[in-house]
Amino acid sequence: MRTLESETGERLLIEAAQRDPARFAELYENNFLRIYAFIARRVGNREEAQDLTSEVFHEALAGLSRFEWRGAPFVTWLLAIAANLLAKRWQRLGRRREVSAHALDQSGVDQQIEQHAMLFELVECLSPDQRLVIVRRFIEQRSLREIAQELERSEGAIKQLQLRALENLRVKLKEQP
Amino acid sequence: MTNALLADQLDQSIEMLLANAQPISANPALAELIAIAGQLRLLPSPEFRQRLKAQLHAKALASTPLKAPVVEIRKPARRQPDPLPSLFSHPQGSVRASRFAVSFLAHAAGVALLLSSGLLLPTQRGKVSGTTTLVELGPYPLAPAPDQAGGGGGGGDRDKLPASRGNPPRLAREQLSPPSVIVRNFEPRLAAEPTVVGPPDILFPQSTPVGDPLSSVSGPPSNGVGNSGGFGNGSGGGVGTGYGPGVGAGEGGGTGGGVFRVGGGVSAPRAVYTPDPEYSEEARQAKYQGTVILWVVVDPQGRPRDLRVLRSLGLGLDEKAIEAVRKWRFEPAMRDGQPVAVQVNVEVSFHLY
Repeated sequence: MRTLESETGERLLIEAAQRDPARFAELYENNFLRIYAFIARRVGNREEAQDLTSEVFHEALAGLSRFEWRGAPFVTWLLAIAANLLAKRWQRLGRRREVSAHALDQSGVDQQIEQHAMLFELVECLSPDQRLVIVRRFIEQRSLREIAQELERSEGAIKQLQLRALENLRVKLKEQP
Repeated sequence: MTNALLADQLDQSIEMLLANAQPISANPALAELIAIAGQLRLLPSPEFRQRLKAQLHAKALASTPLKAPVVEIRKPARRQPDPLPSLFSHPQGSVRASRFAVSFLAHAAGVALLLSSGLLLPTQRGKVSGTTTLVELGPYPLAPAPDQAGGGGGGGDRDKLPASRGNPPRLAREQLSPPSVIVRNFEPRLAAEPTVVGPPDILFPQSTPVGDPLSSVSGPPSNGVGNSGGFGNGSGGGVGTGYGPGVGAGEGGGTGGGVFRVGGGVSAPRAVYTPDPEYSEEARQAKYQGTVILWVVVDPQGRPRDLRVLRSLGLGLDEKAIEAVRKWRFEPAMRDGQPVAVQVNVEVSFHLY
């Protein structure tokens, strides 16, 4: 749940970024994973999700001066940009599909997106070995043998690292409020 | 189920996920892990996240008015008014009246401050400085004077032996006959006293044989391996390793090892073409300002050469200063009506407005 303090902090951040666009980096860091998760869940493809996420933040930076604080969190505005881009993309591809804010709860983000974003964030909290295995396996789609060769360990050890990494993520996800 | 078996089954499911197939597992302990793995399939690349952040940062910097400064070397002769953002060019369209008034007053105060500071503290940037104390004068100091001179010469008559040690002959404003310790022509048509070119008020000891004072060999007598008369391994009828009728390692006459310097009858060169330097991207982002001082030799054709940095600023500004001054052109320094190479210092100021 968003507190008054976090709302005020975000509003100050937005105003600072409107005065000095170099401060936009903080807004980007705070919202990147949610926006990416929102888009990735809809397009189901990493490359496309990354391209669209990039477009969202570039558009947001370009139009930041037009943003007016009306009590809704900043991510809602970003999600609206993302939904527009997704709609245009599907229109271009000849698919009819609507993305709207109806699916979003009061905080601006639905629970599944929040969970995806949280999971992506928790990967950063894994031990360096476990994180490396996750990145190599899921982003670079390398085989266990290739990872084992790179880390100079046995395939069995890499398999165990992979298992422990996923178990850790499951535990950490359950610990989240 | 053993841990190894669980790890095996999980990996098989991940392989299926990565191949875009639906993994099937009857093991409930694996179901949650497979669901997590399914989400990780879309994990964003950390490089992408950092790259996008860097792109946005660069774009943000480019759109910040303060971080896109006008850079110039300001020259006293044609000083330009300082550029200010216009009150009416608000990038986001209309401006509210109250904000406009505040903005107007702030800008007016800024302009007044800027103008008054310009009047109170006039600065001279990019000017050619006329003196230096950075080049050694060699073994023969000049008489005390507010300005300093320099120069040098060299000679020899293609002997196989290096020039023998001795004192140079008398200094004179002009040279009719170069000095020689081995006389090749015993019956010259017009006999004249051998001299080297330099300020006549410098008196060399005349008790020892004539020769090169910096030579490491005392004999046998030799004019040296250089050419065009004189002593040493230089050229031009002088004494030493340089070029010209003077003494020392420099050129063009005089003494001191080095090119002429302004003063002692040598006029200052005048900059006639001074393109402005660019700002380095690194210094611009860091809002870094200051002055680079360059050591420059202006040759008789008015071209700068042998540029060196005397006072460095760093962040790429030294290179930008050298790059700009290398394009400068001068009216050369004059001595006795002849253009000569001189050494001057050049200040290049970098300021953000």
